[in-house]
Amino acid sequence: MLSNLLRITASIVFVFSLGFCTPKTEEKVSAPFADSLKIAPTNQYVNADQSPMDISYYPVDFPQQKLAGGLKAERPIARVIYSRPHKKGRTIFSNNEKSLCPYGKPWRLGANEATEIEFFMPVVIDGKNVAAGRYILYCIPYADKWVIALNSNIDSWGLSIDNSKDILRTEIPVQKQSPALEDFTLVFVEASYGADMIIAWDKIKTVLPLVFTQ
Amino acid sequence: MKNFITLVLSLAISLASVAQPKLPPVDKSPLDISYYPDNYPVLKIQDKMTEPLVARVIYSRPQKNDRKIFGELIEYGKLWRLGANEATEVEFYLPVKINNTKIKKGRYSLYAIPNNDKWTIILNKENDTWGSFRYDAKKDVLRMDVPVQMQSTIAESFSLLFEKAGSGFMLNALWDNVKISLPISL
Repeated sequence: MLSNLLRITASIVFVFSLGFCTPKTEEKVSAPFADSLKIAPTNQYVNADQSPMDISYYPVDFPQQKLAGGLKAERPIARVIYSRPHKKGRTIFSNNEKSLCPYGKPWRLGANEATEIEFFMPVVIDGKNVAAGRYILYCIPYADKWVIALNSNIDSWGLSIDNSKDILRTEIPVQKQSPALEDFTLVFVEASYGADMIIAWDKIKTVLPLVFTQ
Repeated sequence: MKNFITLVLSLAISLASVAQPKLPPVDKSPLDISYYPDNYPVLKIQDKMTEPLVARVIYSRPQKNDRKIFGELIEYGKLWRLGANEATEVEFYLPVKINNTKIKKGRYSLYAIPNNDKWTIILNKENDTWGSFRYDAKKDVLRMDVPVQMQSTIAESFSLLFEKAGSGFMLNALWDNVKISLPISL
C-alpha cells in the first residue's frame, strides 16, 4: 500500500514535471509559433530534417546562463550535438533485427551525422583520461547494458562507424523509465564528481558518468 | 500521523527527483548544420571527398509561418542572430579570407543587421552564447556589407548553406523572399 502510494505520487510528480518542462525561450522570433514542431514539406534550398538536431551543454544551458551573466567561465565544459529521432510508434530497442536499434548492432546515438561530443577540458570516463577535444559518440545496445564508444572519426555520417578509431569503450547498465519518451534525448545533469550524461529514449535510459578533475 | 505524511512526502519527492530529471522538449526552431564542402560527412563515409573540410555552420531554423519576416518580424537596422536560440556558430577548419580580412581557423558567432537593400554580416569571437543579447562589438572580428537579392520563391524555413563559387565559396542565407551571399576565399 505504502509502496503503491509512493509509486503513484512519484509518477504524478514526474508527469507533472514533464508537462511543465518549459520550452527553450525563443523570445521574439518564435513567440507566435504554435507549440508543435512544424516542418515545411519542402524547401528548395535545404530541407528541414525529419529528426531535428539539438545541442546540450554542461554546465546545463550554458549559453542562457552566460547571457544571464551568472557565469565566470568563458567556456563550457562539454557539449553534445545530436539529432533527435521520434519513436512514432516503432519498436526501438529489442533483439528483433527489424527494430530500429537492434541489440548488438552499433547505433549512432541519434540520426543523420554522427553524434558529436566536445570536451573543453580533460575528463575521466570509467577511470580513463580523455583529452579535451572533439569526438563522436556511438553505442551498442543490449537488453541489460550498453557499450558506449568514443571515437575519433569526427565530421562523419553516423551510418558508417569505423571502430578502429575508437579511443574508449565503456559499459553502462540499462535502466527502465516510464512513461516512454517520444524524442531521443541526450542531456547533462550535475553530479558530485562532475556530470552525468543521460541518454534516454522510449522506455530506456542509460547514464554515462563524466568525472571532472580540474 | 504527521510524521508519516512528512515521510511519505519527502520519500515521494526524493524518489521523483531521482526518478527523472527534466528532459528537454524538441525545439520549435530545430538546430541544423551545413558544411563546406556541402554534405561533407556523407562524402567522408563514401570516400568521395575531393577537398578537405573547410567550414561548418550550426544554426537554428525558425519557420516563416505566414509572417512577413524582414522589416517586420526581424526589424531593419537591428542586430539578429541569424537563426534562433543559441547564437549561430560558424567554424573554419582552415584559415580563410572574407572581405580581404584574414580569419584564423576556429569557432565564431555569426550575426547580421538586415536592411532592405543590404545586410551587415558580423563575425564575433564570443562563442557558446545565447542569441544576440550579450553581443559585444569589441569582440568583432569582421563586418561586411552584402547586397540583398530578392527571390521569387519563398523559403519557409530559415536556411544557411555553403556553395562553391570560383576558387572559394559562399555562405548563403535565405528566408522568406530574401537571399544574401557572403563570399569567402581560401
